[in-house]
Amino acid sequence: MTDPADLPLDDVDHAILDRLAAIHTLLDPPPGDLDERVSFAIALEGLDAEVARLSEQQTVGSGARGTERTRTITFDSGSRAMMITVSEHQDGTVRIDGWLAPSAPLRVELRLPEPAPLRAVTADAAGRFAFEGVPHGIAQLLVQPPEGGALPRVVTPAFVL
Amino acid sequence: MTGVTLGSGGAGTSQAGPDRAARLGECLERARNGEMGALGEVVRELNPLLWHVARAEGLTAEESADVVQTTWLELLRRLHDIRSPRALTSWLVTATRREAWRARELSRRQAPDGAARLESAPDPEPLPGERLLSDERDRALWQHFQRLSERCRTLLRIVTQAARPDYAAVAEALGMPVGSIGPTRGRCLAKLREMLLADPGWRES
Repeated sequence: MTDPADLPLDDVDHAILDRLAAIHTLLDPPPGDLDERVSFAIALEGLDAEVARLSEQQTVGSGARGTERTRTITFDSGSRAMMITVSEHQDGTVRIDGWLAPSAPLRVELRLPEPAPLRAVTADAAGRFAFEGVPHGIAQLLVQPPEGGALPRVVTPAFVL
Repeated sequence: MTGVTLGSGGAGTSQAGPDRAARLGECLERARNGEMGALGEVVRELNPLLWHVARAEGLTAEESADVVQTTWLELLRRLHDIRSPRALTSWLVTATRREAWRARELSRRQAPDGAARLESAPDPEPLPGERLLSDERDRALWQHFQRLSERCRTLLRIVTQAARPDYAAVAEALGMPVGSIGPTRGRCLAKLREMLLADPGWRES
């Protein structure tokens, strides 16, 4: 007698599998903005980029009663680490203070969803840079390589400000 | 675009077969030619699968979302080597597992009590119970599903989020032996099916 496990999938099997998929979608759905965040993050020009993985995230302060809430995010790529502090302003915008390690006066770009234009600053010799008046929402940072070098640019995942 | 459709099936319930493969293949080709927007459709199609791969590795929701996103970013540099939608699915599942493992190691090292985290990490968080399921047959299905081994639950949880023709490729990318599922039933589904067919609550309603 044939082992039931060796039979091809039939309609009953597909009915079971389809319901299982639906139950898992119901009980543990992906975040509603996951598709949007991924699509935004990968809509880059050109394919050559080194990914800086999110390695640590900390929030300080509650933001209540006028205390400023700040969040520190650390990204790490093979060639460079980047730490940013995100501070919320009363006017509804945020400020990003960043630091590249190893430090280098590189061009740092802040990508926001269209139609917002790409913003760019150059880090100082100590690797520090800042973006002021940034709207809430998703964002992504890119660090351009030193000119003439063979290193690719570094990109972070999209994160929510 | 951002809404979550509750109660809908995985990719397996819709547009399976050659049409889907051709459609995704065309999106890949357009992306290779620089039209990155074409990947949006591929992302929507495969994100639920990758999400469950990361969650089944025991990551939190936030960690899983980051891992899925990092995996897609890593894909960009490999885009020219990946020719078919099935190869893409396999690559993404394998890469998501690798990223999830990396993320788990990282949070274990950062945890104040690393040892405790090490012991608790590999077990996926228990999903909320069947009280959320309004349909009686779904509750019966869920109860029997819980009686499968953890390995079988992981396999079926993830594979059912893939398109039907990709079941075997996804099982293989998960490190399961050939014949785990697709095109044949495999042991995990055969066991679940046997329990369900013996349950009047599932068969008759």
